[in-house]
Amino acid sequence: MTDILTYLIFLPMAGSVLLFFLKKERVATLKVLGFVFSLLTFGLSFIIYFAFDPSNAGFQFARRILWVPSLNISYYVGIDGISLMLVLLTTFLTPLALLSSWKSIEKRVKEYTIMMLLLETGMLGVFCALDMFLFYIFWEAMLIPMYFIIGMWGGENRIYAAIKFFLYTMVGSLLMLVAIIWLGYYASTQPNGRFTTDLLQLYSIAPAVPLTIQTWMFLAFTFSFAIKVPLFPFHTWLPDAHVEAPTAGSVILAGVLLKMGTYGLLRFSVPLFPDATIMFAPYIALLAVIGIIYGALVSMVQTDIKKLVAYSSVSHLGFVVLGIFALTEEGIQGSIIQMINHGLSTGALFLIVGMIYERRHTRMISEFGGLANVMPLFATFFMIVSLSSLGLPGLNGFIGEFLILVGAFKSTYLSQWFAIFSSTGVILAAVYLLWMYQRVVFGKMTNPINQNLSDLSKREIAVLAPVLLFIVWIGVYPGTFLQKSHNTTKHIISVVKQYTQSNLTHSDTTR
Amino acid sequence: MTGIALHHYLALSAILFTIGVVGVLTRRNAIIVFMCVELMLNSVNLSLVAFSAYLGNPTGQILVFFVMTVAAAEAAVGLAIIIALFRNKQTVNIDEINIMKW
Amino acid sequence: MLEQIVHSVKLLQPETALAVTFCVLLVLDLVVRRKSNLAAWLALLGLVVTAFFVLQQASSGQNSIFFNMLAVDSFSVFFKFVILASSFLIILFSLQSDELNSGTRRLGEYYSLIIALTLGMFLMTGASNLLMMYLSIELTSISSYILAGYTKEAEDSSEASLKYVIYGAVSSGMMLYGISMLYGLTGAVDIYGINRALTEGDINLMALMIASILMVAGFGYKISAVPFHFWTPDVYEGAPITITAFLSVASKAAGFAMMMRFFKVSFLDPTVGNLAMGAWASFQGFEWNQLLAAISVLTMTLGNLVAIWQNNLKRLLAYSSIAHAGYMLMGVVVLSNEGLAAVLIYFVVYLFMNLGAFYTVMIVANKTGSEDIEAYKGLGYRTPLIGVAMTIFLLSLTGIPPTAGFVGKLYLFAALINGKWFWLVVIGALNSVVSLYYYVRILRNMFLKTPERSAEPIQFSFAHVTILLVLLIPTILLGVYFGPLVEYAQASLVMFGIQ
Repeated sequence: MTDILTYLIFLPMAGSVLLFFLKKERVATLKVLGFVFSLLTFGLSFIIYFAFDPSNAGFQFARRILWVPSLNISYYVGIDGISLMLVLLTTFLTPLALLSSWKSIEKRVKEYTIMMLLLETGMLGVFCALDMFLFYIFWEAMLIPMYFIIGMWGGENRIYAAIKFFLYTMVGSLLMLVAIIWLGYYASTQPNGRFTTDLLQLYSIAPAVPLTIQTWMFLAFTFSFAIKVPLFPFHTWLPDAHVEAPTAGSVILAGVLLKMGTYGLLRFSVPLFPDATIMFAPYIALLAVIGIIYGALVSMVQTDIKKLVAYSSVSHLGFVVLGIFALTEEGIQGSIIQMINHGLSTGALFLIVGMIYERRHTRMISEFGGLANVMPLFATFFMIVSLSSLGLPGLNGFIGEFLILVGAFKSTYLSQWFAIFSSTGVILAAVYLLWMYQRVVFGKMTNPINQNLSDLSKREIAVLAPVLLFIVWIGVYPGTFLQKSHNTTKHIISVVKQYTQSNLTHSDTTR
Repeated sequence: MTGIALHHYLALSAILFTIGVVGVLTRRNAIIVFMCVELMLNSVNLSLVAFSAYLGNPTGQILVFFVMTVAAAEAAVGLAIIIALFRNKQTVNIDEINIMKW
Repeated sequence: MLEQIVHSVKLLQPETALAVTFCVLLVLDLVVRRKSNLAAWLALLGLVVTAFFVLQQASSGQNSIFFNMLAVDSFSVFFKFVILASSFLIILFSLQSDELNSGTRRLGEYYSLIIALTLGMFLMTGASNLLMMYLSIELTSISSYILAGYTKEAEDSSEASLKYVIYGAVSSGMMLYGISMLYGLTGAVDIYGINRALTEGDINLMALMIASILMVAGFGYKISAVPFHFWTPDVYEGAPITITAFLSVASKAAGFAMMMRFFKVSFLDPTVGNLAMGAWASFQGFEWNQLLAAISVLTMTLGNLVAIWQNNLKRLLAYSSIAHAGYMLMGVVVLSNEGLAAVLIYFVVYLFMNLGAFYTVMIVANKTGSEDIEAYKGLGYRTPLIGVAMTIFLLSLTGIPPTAGFVGKLYLFAALINGKWFWLVVIGALNSVVSLYYYVRILRNMFLKTPERSAEPIQFSFAHVTILLVLLIPTILLGVYFGPLVEYAQASLVMFGIQ
């Protein structure tokens, strides 16, 4: 059991190694094998889910092997409630993404499947790593398969989108590397300290960093994550990457990769630098609110469905960031659940866009209309997913956004205006999603080509149905998921409170 | 050495060196460029000898012997390369030796 | 005195072995008139024998031989291994190079010159006397002038050679002027004597600064640092690929070894004791490392920015190697053993990844006859093995984990951060991002573009695959398992004359 996370992380990679030795002509075998490996990984993560003890706020299934003795770097993995949710999301979405591209990816199937599996290893590694050096390696290494997925199987402008994605992430992450090394050295200046990148040790060391330096460290980390999220002024890579990526790529990109940014904020920026977090919370929340409204407004004027969904991500992720920097239990819990929600509903939206694109090879809203008549099943799925994305009560989106807004409202660090302004984002979401839905699905069939469109196939239903299941499940009974991360959230908030420097000096005197 | 102090030698050496550098930068004939390089090396020799006499230690003069030898070797190789190039291009003008740029 | 000479000769075994190999090859070329690869195999044999002697030196402690002419210490042994490894690989490359083996050209001289070049570099790594520095630089330079123009019927090759000679002669002239000033200022020509004179005497700092700037001209030319880099792109483009690869790794390593020894030993302030964790100090008011920091920033920035516009891969890699020299200079700037260790680590990593990239270029050029980036379109599908190998080399050059290049950068950045050179680290990091752009351009052509004309796969033999793997495996392995390399580099920082 102690090694189960290692198996989980490297199982997809093992699959890709196996695929590497297969002949590329055996397309069917390649597809099935890739799918089977991703399913196995999902199964493994399911075992972890049941073995996970929600009452324990610490890291579970931890495994630590010394890797580079001279720098005290170790292979160190473990998960808590937050990582658990994201690991599950990753293992859940990857097989669906592979299944969704069964038909649409026809060329270079072997390379494609290998890249997807490598990507899964990278993502799982990011969520499980407890050593910052290990985290950084997975964080960077994951860029390479993503670059190829966008660049090889993407749309017309794919090369530009791929390099833009790569460069943006690289700028941020190199600054993060500098901050990681600096923190390691800071640890070595402590009494009896030595260079370390062990996250758990740094949790107790880093908050004592002098505030001026803490500010720089915080900014270096947060900048890197903000690009990934993407937070408002750093979001320009996202529409390009999303629109150009193949469907499966968009699903993974929106579903999991963006979460790596918010996960990083929650795992590193906030607990490592509580003072700087409190200092910057209003500014970052402001950017988040701007992102929410800006993303929604831009979505509204899009003519391309995929671009609309892409910009809606900017808006939705704004909520997540707002929730994190509210620094209240509701806010952070809401953010965690909203990360999952966004992964599910936006992932599903991208799947749906992909399905319609496969049929018509266009994504322009104006090309469609009246699809409800020929594709009733499609229309139903599309409806539920859109409603989930805009936060209809009873579906998952509502739970997340509601908790975040409550959290922001109750926050002692943010003014209430943040909550009030960001709630307009919910209204705008309803506007752009329903308006788009109405133009695509309802109305008269204006375009005769659409007459002969076939409804969803069994495979496509199999792709969407599991997502729908969770959309409803979280909406009706979120407790299943909230309880897993409940204690971890409490712990983070207590860490922030406990380690702010005023408290540190205070507790020193009382001790 | 009455009347001629160390700094006179050094000044002469510096002047010769500068002339050499300017020559390398401005002259266009490869052979003349090489002669300018020789001028640079010889100005160094002059200062080495002057220092040697001033410090009363022979190391500087020994250095000069080595510099002269190496300069000869370098000139030999340089001229050989100029000949090889001349066979290809029928010119020793540096401005015309420009297949490769930035 | 006689005792000293006998002792010295014993410790000169590797150089002697190289000199003997050189002479044998030269004579052999006169005797054997027909074309054969005998010379190459003999050269390889000579290198193996040399490696054996170097291995023996590794355990012989720290020595100074021929009255402080050469130092034989762990530091020089480390670089000798790097240089030996690259010469060995280069000779293997040369055996497969169509560019060299075409026509009726006999290559006896070529291999003997490679050995002479190796000998010069060996001397550079140990040079602890200004005269020895000058002579060893000239030995490497003159050999490389000839090698750069070896395919003399090709116009660009002889042009490259001429440019190389002119720039080389001017830089060595400038360095010589610096040497004469240093000699005049201190009255000594060995670096220990210079250090003693600087510690004791009252030296004019202005003159010392000018002298060291002039010295930097010599070093900078060898490591192709801006503004002494002008020869690099032309020579790298015009010279045969094998020689380009050799110059980009071995010659740079030797230049760095000599520069680090000169700066550390001559300008070490022994009165300032152990600062912290292997840091040392330079003389009061004489901050030569600021000068190197400026050169480092210029070097990497210019190298990376200009590389973006290159379409000839050899030229692109030339600018990339300029940029890498800039990164490595950062390690020298810090004034700590940690920084120097980072440079050593970087060189081992750089040896594999850079030679790998050049080797791939050579294989492609053998087949297509072109080094242009256009020739790489669709290469990843035509010849997946080469495509994947090139991808890994390029990612490693960019410094993306989990490749060896990342480890190199990691230690450099770590040394700088520990030395509080934050602005320099940030510039280094941003430069890595710029470099990503042009390395990825090659990836893009290999995988994301389809070739315009129909292109067949590139044939390669078992020997090609073997060499490729020899370069590829360390590039990946050192990215994951680098503990021993780091420890060896840290243990190799002992220079003669410093505790």
